[in-house]
Amino acid sequence: MNPLLSHDPTIETAGPPVTDWRGQALAFAATCLLALILTPLHDVLDHANTAMLFLLLVALVAFRLGRRAAIVAAFASVALFDFFFIPPRFSFAVSDAQYLVVFAVMLVVALIITRLTAGLQRSAEEAIAREAQMRSLNGLAQALAGALSHQQVAQATRTYLGAGFRATSWLFVAGRGDTVKLVEEGNRVSMLAEHAAAQRVFKQRESMEFDDTTDGDVHCLYLPLSVATHTHGVLAIAIPREHVGSLTGQRPLIEAMASLVATAIERVHLVELAHESQIGMVSERLRSSVLSALSHDVRTPLAALFGLADSLVRAHPPLPPAAQETAGAIRDQAARLDRMVGNLLDMARLQCGAVTLRKEWQPLEEVIGASIKLLGSSLAQHEITVSLPRDLPPLEFDAVLMERVFCNLLENAAKYSPPGAPIGISAHAQPDVVVIEVRNPGAGFAPDRLQRVFELFERGAAESVVPGVGVGLAICRAIVEAHGGGIVAENPAGGGACVRFTLPRGTPPTMETESVAAGTE
Amino acid sequence: MSEPLACVLVVEDEPQIRRVVRTALEEEGCRVIESGTMTQGLTEASTRKPSLIILDLGLPDGDGVRFVEDVRTWSAVPILILSARSTENDKIDVLDAGADDYLTKPFSLGELLARVRALLRRARISDADASPLVGFGDIEVDLPRRSVTRGGEPLHLTPIEFRLLCALLAGHGKVLTHRHLLREVWGPGYGESNHYLRIYVGHLRQKLERDPAQPRHILTETGVGYRFAM
Repeated sequence: MNPLLSHDPTIETAGPPVTDWRGQALAFAATCLLALILTPLHDVLDHANTAMLFLLLVALVAFRLGRRAAIVAAFASVALFDFFFIPPRFSFAVSDAQYLVVFAVMLVVALIITRLTAGLQRSAEEAIAREAQMRSLNGLAQALAGALSHQQVAQATRTYLGAGFRATSWLFVAGRGDTVKLVEEGNRVSMLAEHAAAQRVFKQRESMEFDDTTDGDVHCLYLPLSVATHTHGVLAIAIPREHVGSLTGQRPLIEAMASLVATAIERVHLVELAHESQIGMVSERLRSSVLSALSHDVRTPLAALFGLADSLVRAHPPLPPAAQETAGAIRDQAARLDRMVGNLLDMARLQCGAVTLRKEWQPLEEVIGASIKLLGSSLAQHEITVSLPRDLPPLEFDAVLMERVFCNLLENAAKYSPPGAPIGISAHAQPDVVVIEVRNPGAGFAPDRLQRVFELFERGAAESVVPGVGVGLAICRAIVEAHGGGIVAENPAGGGACVRFTLPRGTPPTMETESVAAGTE
Repeated sequence: MSEPLACVLVVEDEPQIRRVVRTALEEEGCRVIESGTMTQGLTEASTRKPSLIILDLGLPDGDGVRFVEDVRTWSAVPILILSARSTENDKIDVLDAGADDYLTKPFSLGELLARVRALLRRARISDADASPLVGFGDIEVDLPRRSVTRGGEPLHLTPIEFRLLCALLAGHGKVLTHRHLLREVWGPGYGESNHYLRIYVGHLRQKLERDPAQPRHILTETGVGYRFAM
């Protein structure tokens, strides 16, 4: 019998393997034996000493056979003492009323001894049982501390419950969403019913106890495995009905065990997370080093090429016009290549999430002006009109990235519209968003491709002679979406092409208004 | 403008870019000292006393911020930074450390020479002989009398707008970072309140620029700050 199970308040005698009625019979027999031994010595021993010997016997019985046997011994002792030793002997009659006091004292003392001895013994047993529980829990804790996988946690729990309660157990851990999945240990039969019960306990985060007779006669206990506010799984315990008594009074122990298991699952979970994030970090580092190497190693020679060609254009004395034109073309091509590399790198950074937005509140007007100035000569053939309402609220965005959006949209507009055609930028506020439009009077987007122009490497016109690799609009979409906005392309009824995007208005920060009193005149 | 003996130190590790820059500067009438590393650049800067330093931020042997801080301990020589794109933070750091202007690669030589001229001119005009009257476009600013006129018509500026205009005028020909302008106009407590600056720059543009959306004087250096062009 496992020491764990001995702690049961209904069983008062425990320890030595003597069942209740046999202990009482044994106690009675011992008392009779003592009476028989002492009867021949009646003349030698004083009555007081005889009584003492009976009390000694009661004490020994209480110590060895427990409380009930001792009570039997106490009453038997008083009766036999009266019968064999008190005159008139061999009768329960008492000649001198004085002896009644002796009997009473003897009985009370015997019962007190009984109680004290049995009480002491019980505390000792309880202490032993508690120690055994602790040792057993400690063993489980050690086994769980070494567990690196859910399987090992399930195994340790199963061993513990099997030894302590003759119970079978299954472990369910949290899976995707709000579901649990069984931790498999070797081949398992289908456990649909158990899974459903575990799922319910996991959702409600409350334990469940019931009898199940479908598959043998068992008592089931389902416990949610929670650490702090998070539930990591469910522990299902099934105990055969004949051992269900071993559960009585053990709820605190089982709950302590469940929290140990929960902590172990959480630890396994954290180990997995740490492992994943380490893999993520390594690949992230690789990616960013490839990107930065690419951006440096490709762009440095491009910058040199651009500068060298530019120095030919500016040479003193000037080159013949044809050579100068060629040098200029080389310079422009280098600049375009550089922009293209820039776009591709930006796209790569945006796609792998390596871009952190430096969002700040600012007027839209500023970034539009900066974009027009940045494009400079490539917009020279077009007239750009910017019409923004004066009360357009400031917006929160990353200026560098938004400049990229406008540069790409303006460059596209210039590329796909005839020289001299005006390009229009306008914006207006709606309750939740600000809508921004960039229009050009060109041929417009191919109608069947309107939906796809924002996809990577997709171009507005399939066989177009206009250069470009279709990265520009994809970057625009990535940037606008990163700001929580949306972007669409359309061919307005009046002709031409229009790209429209939105940025959320949010809540601009409040500003202290300055007193207008003492300014300039 | 070619001052006969303006001496320019070029600290750049890419020989071809160094060569291009050297040729352009020499045609402009400058004497050029070249350096391929930051360590050597620092030595040249302290021994040859150049009137301008052009520094590439992407040097393998060092940190541009340290270079600028080092130079600033003993000299106010103008420093022009060459940098790759998408490194706004590096630019801001090095400008806040004391560099005067930056150019993003690839840059045209015309742009480079314009910046060099502007910086050299700035360095020659000491604060003492700065005129109290400044004019740009059709705008006239009388600093002591705190008055601004456009084509003779007075313009009304709030105190903050006027302080901002003064800060921009004082830093013309340089890039002025957001942080620098906030400190100059609002004081040290406003170091991170960039939206204040942006809103007031917007106000100034509305009042001073013909087309505020395509400004010609108060120019935006996106992600970095502003530049004032006369």
